[in-house]
Amino acid sequence: MGLKSYFHLKQVGHNFRQNWPTQLMSLLTVTLSVLIFSFFLLIYLNVVNIGARLGDELRLVVYLDNEVEPALQPLISSKISTYAKADKILFVSRAEAFIRLQKQLEKEKDLLTDLGPEFLPPSIEVYPEKSFRNFTRLKEFSDFLATLPGAQKVQYGQEWLERFGYFTELLRVIVVLSGALLVLATGFMVSCTIRLTVVAKESELEILRLVGASNRYIQAPLFFEGILQGVLGSSLGLTLLYAIFIWTRTHLGGSTFLNQLEYTFLPFSVTAMIIGGTTLLCAWGSLLSIRKHMRI
Amino acid sequence: MLKLFPDDRPLVDIVKATKVYPPDIVAVQNISLAVAKGELLFLTGMSGAGKTTLLKLICAIEQPTKGVIEVGGRDLAKTGSAEIQQLRQEIGVVYQDFKLLPKLNAAQNIAMPMEVAYRDQREINSRVDELLAILKMTHKREIQTGKLSRGEQQRVAIARAAANSPALLLADEPTGNLDQDSANLVMDLFEQLNREGTTLIIASHDESLYRNSDYRRVQLEHGLFTNHSSPRQLPLINQ
Ligand SMILES: Nc1ncnc2c1ncn2[C@@H]1O[C@H](COP(=O)(O)OP(=O)(O)OP(=O)(O)O)[C@@H](O)[C@H]1O
Ligand SMILES: [Mg+2]
Repeated sequence: MGLKSYFHLKQVGHNFRQNWPTQLMSLLTVTLSVLIFSFFLLIYLNVVNIGARLGDELRLVVYLDNEVEPALQPLISSKISTYAKADKILFVSRAEAFIRLQKQLEKEKDLLTDLGPEFLPPSIEVYPEKSFRNFTRLKEFSDFLATLPGAQKVQYGQEWLERFGYFTELLRVIVVLSGALLVLATGFMVSCTIRLTVVAKESELEILRLVGASNRYIQAPLFFEGILQGVLGSSLGLTLLYAIFIWTRTHLGGSTFLNQLEYTFLPFSVTAMIIGGTTLLCAWGSLLSIRKHMRI
Repeated sequence: MLKLFPDDRPLVDIVKATKVYPPDIVAVQNISLAVAKGELLFLTGMSGAGKTTLLKLICAIEQPTKGVIEVGGRDLAKTGSAEIQQLRQEIGVVYQDFKLLPKLNAAQNIAMPMEVAYRDQREINSRVDELLAILKMTHKREIQTGKLSRGEQQRVAIARAAANSPALLLADEPTGNLDQDSANLVMDLFEQLNREGTTLIIASHDESLYRNSDYRRVQLEHGLFTNHSSPRQLPLINQ
């Protein structure tokens, strides 16, 4: 087996010397496709990540006319709970709201000296369970909360959430499209390259046949070649993406809000899947092409 | 090497073979010929008589229009392509037009059949050196065969055919471009292979190759055998 691999690898090297511009083109196509795909995937995964983290702080705030008396609080809590399980329900009085505001303003605290807690409305803060944190269910929940006695208005950042939802959706579409591009471009280029190799080697293949080369002897190097392009191309694409990622993080940091979100690179499992998937794709493309162009 | 070929049957057995090239060129007509294992046979005849065609039938480059070709006890028409490839590793062929790869050097061309058979690299190198030395071509080892003279190319083609010490060697006009000395070297190599067990069929016009020997000779004329002179007469001939 080792001896056979040696001959096949020797052939791979030989093919490359004979046909390197095409092979390089094909490698670059694989690299570029992987780069484009993984670039959008990286953005998408980070956005989803941010969304999840923001989701953890998600709450519905029901602003009330009047404070709820402590005796009534369990009643209201249980009424809310009958509609939807909540992780936490918090009753915020005017005084508590005022203290929070003071904390938030800290240095400009004196702004509030002339004001009392009276101008702030009391509220109920509902932290819904994880399963409730999707857009339509939130909306229904908020409609329900609006029917509570004394409720004036329910807020949960609907506009922002909606936009964020659309954005994620758009990204998902782009990821799928660039994935399709990856499949098409890679499969096409790899099979084209193999076809060109076969054409360039036509007389050589004929003579190999005449001296008794098995199909395996002839096909194995081409198959190796496809696999090699998959492994190298995808690794190179991901390396480039990593370089871009690092560069962006160090140079675009600044003071923008981007800096405050921590973003991460593709996890190892995803990179492994991209490399594995691309390699399989290339192997498949080369097999198809070999079958098609080397009818014996 | 001989495992593919049983001892108790002719190595090559041609039974009433006819080859018609389109549209209606009859190259070989109703020919029967048996070649025993270990034989050295000359195939003679004028240009266009059908010598090359007959050799191509034996190594399955062409299929007969009628009749049966058996090599090593296998009917070639009923042998799958994978097995044909395996068979070809046991058959060395010197093509009339050489079929060398002009971009590869002499040594690389000669090594091809051995690489295809996954021989050990050291074994390949020493066999290439040995053959180049026998044919006095050592100094051309690293030269692309496209740059060699016809006679030199022919010797590379012969070395390639002999490389695997094949069970059967088919040589089509192997000395056509060679001077007498080189032709003698080639004949010496063929006889050495024959002593080591290779069966040879040599198609040639070159009378000097067989003039002083008693090898069997069959002559083709317009696709038919005409005479089959030789003291070492064996079974065969067209009925
Ligand atoms: N591929 C082909 N298509 C059509 N006709 C062919 C083909 N190959 C050979 N022929 C014809 O078949 C006949 C026998 O040819 P072949 O090459 O077997 O002769 P030969 O004995 O080898 O001649 P030479 O000594 O010149 O090499 C010739 O008339 C030739 O023109
Ligand atoms: Mg001929």
